[in-house]
Amino acid sequence: MGYQKIFNVALGLILTVTGAGVSCVFASDPPPESGAGSVAVRLHLTDDAIPADDPNAAVWDTIQPAEFKLAPQVHWPDRIQEVTVKSVKVRGIHNGQDLAILLEYADPSNDAADAAAIEFMVGDKMAHFAHGQEMLQVEGGAVNIWYWKKEDGKATDMSAKGFKTIRAQDDQNVSATGAWQDGTWRVVFSRPLQTGDEHDVQVTPGEWRNVAFAFWDGEIVDGAVKERGSQKAVSSWWYFRAEPPPDNSIYGYVVLGIVLAAGFQFFLVRKIRRGNES
Amino acid sequence: MKGSLAKTVILLVGMYVFLKFILPLFTAPLPASLIFLYLALTLASAMIFYTMSGGSLDEFMGPIGRFLTGTGQTGIAGTARILVFVLFPVLVGWQTYTRLAPSDMPPAENRTIHPAPPGEFVGLANPYERSQNNIMMGKGLYAAFCSPCHGANFDGKGPAAVGFNPPPANFGDPGTIAQLQESYLFWRIKKGGVGLPVEAMPWKSAMPRWEVELPDEWIWKIIMGEYDGAGQSPRTWEEEE
Ligand code: HEC
Repeated sequence: MGYQKIFNVALGLILTVTGAGVSCVFASDPPPESGAGSVAVRLHLTDDAIPADDPNAAVWDTIQPAEFKLAPQVHWPDRIQEVTVKSVKVRGIHNGQDLAILLEYADPSNDAADAAAIEFMVGDKMAHFAHGQEMLQVEGGAVNIWYWKKEDGKATDMSAKGFKTIRAQDDQNVSATGAWQDGTWRVVFSRPLQTGDEHDVQVTPGEWRNVAFAFWDGEIVDGAVKERGSQKAVSSWWYFRAEPPPDNSIYGYVVLGIVLAAGFQFFLVRKIRRGNES
Repeated sequence: MKGSLAKTVILLVGMYVFLKFILPLFTAPLPASLIFLYLALTLASAMIFYTMSGGSLDEFMGPIGRFLTGTGQTGIAGTARILVFVLFPVLVGWQTYTRLAPSDMPPAENRTIHPAPPGEFVGLANPYERSQNNIMMGKGLYAAFCSPCHGANFDGKGPAAVGFNPPPANFGDPGTIAQLQESYLFWRIKKGGVGLPVEAMPWKSAMPRWEVELPDEWIWKIIMGEYDGAGQSPRTWEEEE
């Protein structure tokens, strides 16, 4: 009667749990990344100083880059239908204090107006990738843009919330250094993970955030700079994360799981033995 | 029986509070799936502990019971029994590990592709006649404004498509405009990606807000050109029922 039903339920539960375990063993591989490119940038954790202003530091070559395709900016006017920079390789590193991000991309000529930028959402509000432009049903947030231009020889830490609102911040926290060789720019941006400036992205190890990229080929064509302002190569949002320090509590949980499972078996056998004796 | 039920409930609640609220004070919080697993294990143990009587046991568990207790076992059966007892906890431990192991994958995205349109865009009819002239005009406008992303062949493979995530819609795919009414397209084209509700993640969409650049008349004609060019027809009211 009642006992039997309850017992069936218990048996069902055991089977479910075992089934879940088995399926998990066979399904633990992450899904393969789509052929189009990467989806995320990983800032590798290091114990050493980070190569904050050296685009050619040896450590960069030890890091597997993420690669993102870029499109001519045709999302809002003024548009451009053809751009020089077609994709970017991105490497990142941090030491818990400071971070550095290296952008590597092909550009056949080294021009004064060549420029590169990285964009982030600020705080918890979602922001549209196009300079945090206004959304109609969602209250959006601002973006933080790190902009490097060859002729400036430095980075500018900028903010925007909507088209035509971009401006340099009062508090400049970002540095950048570019090096051009054989048709390839390598530009390294660096900054403390946390700045205490409410207009900046704050990077917390372990936390996924959004990132987007933009590039301008400053070549002079027919007396004018080829790509400027909204005429640039862009991506929309991708992900990035500063690698968290290794977390050993996971092994505690593994032990807890094993103890629970073993305890379950122990009670089961003991109960059956008792039952058999009576 | 009543007493044991109450004890089971208290045990489960206690376990839940411990896993969900007390453990996180000391270490990283557990994902819900693991909490569920541990609770299921606790529940199964408790049920067996409190509810099994000798009688019900023999009926349902005779052979399994003998296997588990090792009664009268020799040789292969004995080895199998030990194997089961070792494997089960290992499996649970392994599952714990794979669920908690730090992942390099960003959070899964559950973007709603076709959210409900705002009320004022429901049931609008295309006010322009489906004439060859209007379709031609729509196709011309499409080529000028839409093809860089959605492709000259309406396949979502325009030269600017590669940089965007999500990618521009492929209108030849039966999952896009063939499923939609013209009034839905009118909304999507007029308000663009930024017009989407939160579940569709408007901050990610590169679809322009065309109302700031194109008059309504052009948008309606582009819709005609788009269906014609992609070889699809709009979903109509009759099909809706
Ligand atoms: C900058 C690139 C871009 C341009 C230019 C563009 N679109 Fe889009 N469009 C997108 C993207 C990306 C999506 C998918 C995301 C979304 O639904 O917002 C999309 C989605 C759509 C959808 C929704 C399809 C569906 O299944 O929900 C329609 C309809 C559409 N576009 C029509 C147009 C028309 C018409 C034009 C020209 C007037 C145009 N688009 C120009 C990028 C673009």
